[in-house]
Amino acid sequence: MTVFHFVLKRSIANKTSLLILFLFPVVAIFLPSGEYWPHLPYGYQYFGIFILFISLKLSGLILEDRMRGIAKKVSIAPISHFSYLAQNLLAYFSILILQCLILVYGGVLVGKELYQPFWLFILFITFSMASIAFALMWISFFRNKEISMLIFMSIISVIALIGGVLIPIELLPEILQKIAIMLPTFWLAWGIDWVVFGGELKEFLLVNGMLILYMFLFLITGSVKKLH
Amino acid sequence: MIASLNGIVKRYDSKLVLDYIDLDINEGQIIGLLGPNGAGKSTLIRCLTGMETVNQGNVTLFGDGKKPFQNKNKEKIGLVTQEISIFPELTAQENANFFAGIYGLKGEVRKRRVAEALAFVGLAEHTKGRAQNFSGGMQRRLNIACSLVHDPKFLIMDEPTVGIDPQSRNHILQAVKKLQRNGTTILYTTHYMEEVETIASEVVILDKGQIITRGTVQDLIRNIQHEERIKVEVSHPEEVSLESIQALPDVKQVIKDGNQILVVSSANSGHLDRILTIIKEDSGVVGINVEKANLEDVFLTLTGRTLRDGGSA
Repeated sequence: MTVFHFVLKRSIANKTSLLILFLFPVVAIFLPSGEYWPHLPYGYQYFGIFILFISLKLSGLILEDRMRGIAKKVSIAPISHFSYLAQNLLAYFSILILQCLILVYGGVLVGKELYQPFWLFILFITFSMASIAFALMWISFFRNKEISMLIFMSIISVIALIGGVLIPIELLPEILQKIAIMLPTFWLAWGIDWVVFGGELKEFLLVNGMLILYMFLFLITGSVKKLH
Repeated sequence: MIASLNGIVKRYDSKLVLDYIDLDINEGQIIGLLGPNGAGKSTLIRCLTGMETVNQGNVTLFGDGKKPFQNKNKEKIGLVTQEISIFPELTAQENANFFAGIYGLKGEVRKRRVAEALAFVGLAEHTKGRAQNFSGGMQRRLNIACSLVHDPKFLIMDEPTVGIDPQSRNHILQAVKKLQRNGTTILYTTHYMEEVETIASEVVILDKGQIITRGTVQDLIRNIQHEERIKVEVSHPEEVSLESIQALPDVKQVIKDGNQILVVSSANSGHLDRILTIIKEDSGVVGINVEKANLEDVFLTLTGRTLRDGGSA
């Protein structure tokens, strides 16, 4: 588990990274609630956007490895492409789990109305998995971290907007509402509604199932590219 | 035999990058792989290490031609990349530790090898320093330490001295020689012929994807050396008898240029003494320069182009 261990180490190697990774969930707990919408406090409603951003920041380490030639060295070492990727993804996922834990159970501790905190935690976890896989796929198209980050920031805004995370999906034109179904953020927004309003468990399973499906699609696309 | 390439052809789309390469690398050698930018050196390394599949031909590593890139062979290879392939945010020790880990070293052996590798490149005093605070030369040395940490039998160095100061370059070249003495076989690619002349036991010159020649530095130079040029700086050039020099056997040309006399003769004519005697009869000798052929001349002779930039001479 050398790669896993060192990815964790590199992720928190400087104070800025440490602050971004762990201060934001704490701050998010204390963000206020909207009057009519969103139904959860802002910090929870917009946490999906943060997850997407952090996923790209973390998976940018793979891109850095590629840019610096470290991936070349790894590729000729007795460690498989699969093991290298899996250990990277596992490390990113561990960090995101910790963030979700801080946000959800920190909120519970300070008395935030989260309706069904356990299911909210599960929803954030499955969205994190899809998000990491999406970031992996995204970086496989680029050779430069800065450019990939810049374009990704614009994409995040668009998919958060159309997916119904930034504004209620009902306010969007019908054509965009149809397109939204194809976005993971749509399923996140649906999941948040389920957590708030409740419903049949199979509906929640569908939401999480879709996110896991996305994860596999993105993982397959993202892991095909050569390491070096 | 450490490694062998037999009839390797590599194309990127329609571009032929390696054109039927045959190369054997024997144990204990330092092979200097020399060629201008774009000659195919890096591609050859990528094929030799399994980073690229070849379109045609076979790679054999440690006598294994069936599965040359299986883990037991990979464990014996080290690669020093052209880029500085280290984690700047981590310390020298952590960097070496990472590479020791991916090669499966554990416990005390890992600890010892990390310390040895860092000491070998002269970074024993900087183990706790973050790589991002190192000079370019120190980062290059750390890059080498990370490739040596698993004690490879075969070390491939892809232009390891690009962009560093002469002191660090010398340190690296000395380290390469020391590695060879310790039994490591080295494939050293560069487009700096001086480096190859200093360290290589055998030179392979690659151009446009083909090996155009190979041999020891002396052999390669001997093969192309047809003439020698002796330049003598004199105190009274007008007094020197150029005719006497021209009359010597095998002297092709005598040119007076200011206070310099240039004598072009057949290689190994042994005229230096005689020329000096003739000149001293009429004038004083201020300086002598005997121009010898080098690998640059070998490349120039074989390709009609200069080595450093691949341009026309």
